[in-house]
Amino acid sequence: MPILSSRISARSIAGTFAVAVCLVVSAGRLTAAPRPAGPSSQDVLGTPTRVETALDATGNASALARAGNTRDALGFPVGVQRIGKHVRDGFESVEYDEVSEIDSVGKVTSLTQFDAKGRLRAAIRLDGAPTGGSSVSRETATATAKRSAAATGLTAGATSVAEVDQATGGWTVRWARVEGGVPVRGDETRVRVWPNGRIQSVSNVGHELATAPSVTLAPETARRIASANMTRWFANRSSGYAIQTVNLEWVEPNGAFDPSRITAAPQPYRLAWVTDVKPTGAAADYMWLISLFVDAGDGNIIGGDFVE
Amino acid sequence: MRRASTLLVSLAIAASTIGVSIQSAAAYDAHVWSNSDAFTATCLGFLDTYPKQHYALAVSQFAKLGFSPVAGTLGPAFTRSAFLSTVFYDYAVYVHSHGDNYWASSGAPNVDSGFLQDPGSGKCNSNTRDMVRSSAIRAATAGTSYNVVIMSTCMLGSKSSTMPSAFQIAKVKTATDREFYLGYVYHVWDSASLRFEKAFWGYMNGGAIHTRWLADAYTYASSIGGYEAVSSSEPFQANWWGNPKFDGSPYLPTAGCPTCPS
Repeated sequence: MPILSSRISARSIAGTFAVAVCLVVSAGRLTAAPRPAGPSSQDVLGTPTRVETALDATGNASALARAGNTRDALGFPVGVQRIGKHVRDGFESVEYDEVSEIDSVGKVTSLTQFDAKGRLRAAIRLDGAPTGGSSVSRETATATAKRSAAATGLTAGATSVAEVDQATGGWTVRWARVEGGVPVRGDETRVRVWPNGRIQSVSNVGHELATAPSVTLAPETARRIASANMTRWFANRSSGYAIQTVNLEWVEPNGAFDPSRITAAPQPYRLAWVTDVKPTGAAADYMWLISLFVDAGDGNIIGGDFVE
Repeated sequence: MRRASTLLVSLAIAASTIGVSIQSAAAYDAHVWSNSDAFTATCLGFLDTYPKQHYALAVSQFAKLGFSPVAGTLGPAFTRSAFLSTVFYDYAVYVHSHGDNYWASSGAPNVDSGFLQDPGSGKCNSNTRDMVRSSAIRAATAGTSYNVVIMSTCMLGSKSSTMPSAFQIAKVKTATDREFYLGYVYHVWDSASLRFEKAFWGYMNGGAIHTRWLADAYTYASSIGGYEAVSSSEPFQANWWGNPKFDGSPYLPTAGCPTCPS
């Protein structure tokens, strides 16, 4: 359709062409010289970019081999072509090597990503979930997920959570990361299992942890700090609050309460008392839950989260 | 404007056949609406910075997909009347606000999903005053179809949500029209929805535009993980409905999909 190409700007066409030329690897062989990676451009608010550089098949043979092994371990389909690239991902503020399997019509059927240390970040098949039929049991899904995580070199601890995947009818099986008995907020090994028991994806999220404070505040102190802030914030606003939980967690400092603290670069996680607060009164109409991250060392509010 | 754009498409196709430049000939309106005043110091005593982050990302990524003009409305201009009076002309719609599935006026078990408009400068939201119901949106859309609808709110991706039908998007994953609806199933932390939307757009628009499918972007974002659950009974879960092979191109949704393999 002529109208389609008309809307692709000349700039986009040029960019598309450049990326296509630089990235194609066929049967593990690079067909164009790699270009140096530019900086990962990141406007903090809204316009992240993704900078891709072709993987040199010779210099990155191990990454390509790891990707192939992972694909086979998970039973992902083998493509007719593979594309390897190093990605500076401004959307997720991370860098990784990514190898995609491409089918005969040029569609990505699966991809694998490895971090700078060569650890699996994600392996995802994209050739479409099967439809119909009954789903495997929770126990079967969990056992399959655990085997798959192990087969890809990921740690799956003893305690897992299996949730029905509303989108596929399959299962999402998760192992939360815990360090020294303390949960790391959001870090996990996650395996998505299709209803037929096959693996859709295996992923791992793990962040750097800062040094723990030499002295950890008592939870009562954190509760008092959170309460003092909430009382001050909600004063004269026809709103009240109830502190629901105070839990010690590793968290990423963030700019939830302060736009000057929003950064593109990931920060080491810090130990904090995560204090969840339930608004009451007027604020309950539009704010369902507030989380304050109270630094476990100095008591400062280093971030938070909201359920609006 | 939608009807105008239909004409422009026809003109553009005609123009292209005779070699005339048709750059920017067609308009495929998109609106990004983000409730921010409910989340400022006026109402909370502190500034919740997430509405602006979600808003900025959506504006930039709708534009990358080719929707134009993308009208961004962060704050007091996000009113029920503004939404309902412009939605008919849109091809893509994004909302970031408080959302939920409420009983319909006919009573339980009928649901009439909704989200809150921005309360306006210096005001705070009231559920009774500020709700934008799916029934009202359905009336305003008047049977018009949409390419991309994203409800960046709680609950509107659940099976009981009536929001997709307000945009004529059936809750199936086998649609053939060029349509895609995305929402969250349960309550969701803002950090989680922002991470998900970054990953979603990063996959979708990170490479050459219109070479990937929105459903694959959903799969990618859902699979990378790192999403904190609100509670054990409310895990992080996004959901989608529509065409599994839609590349996000702005088009008349029912006009067929030349880039979607059969």
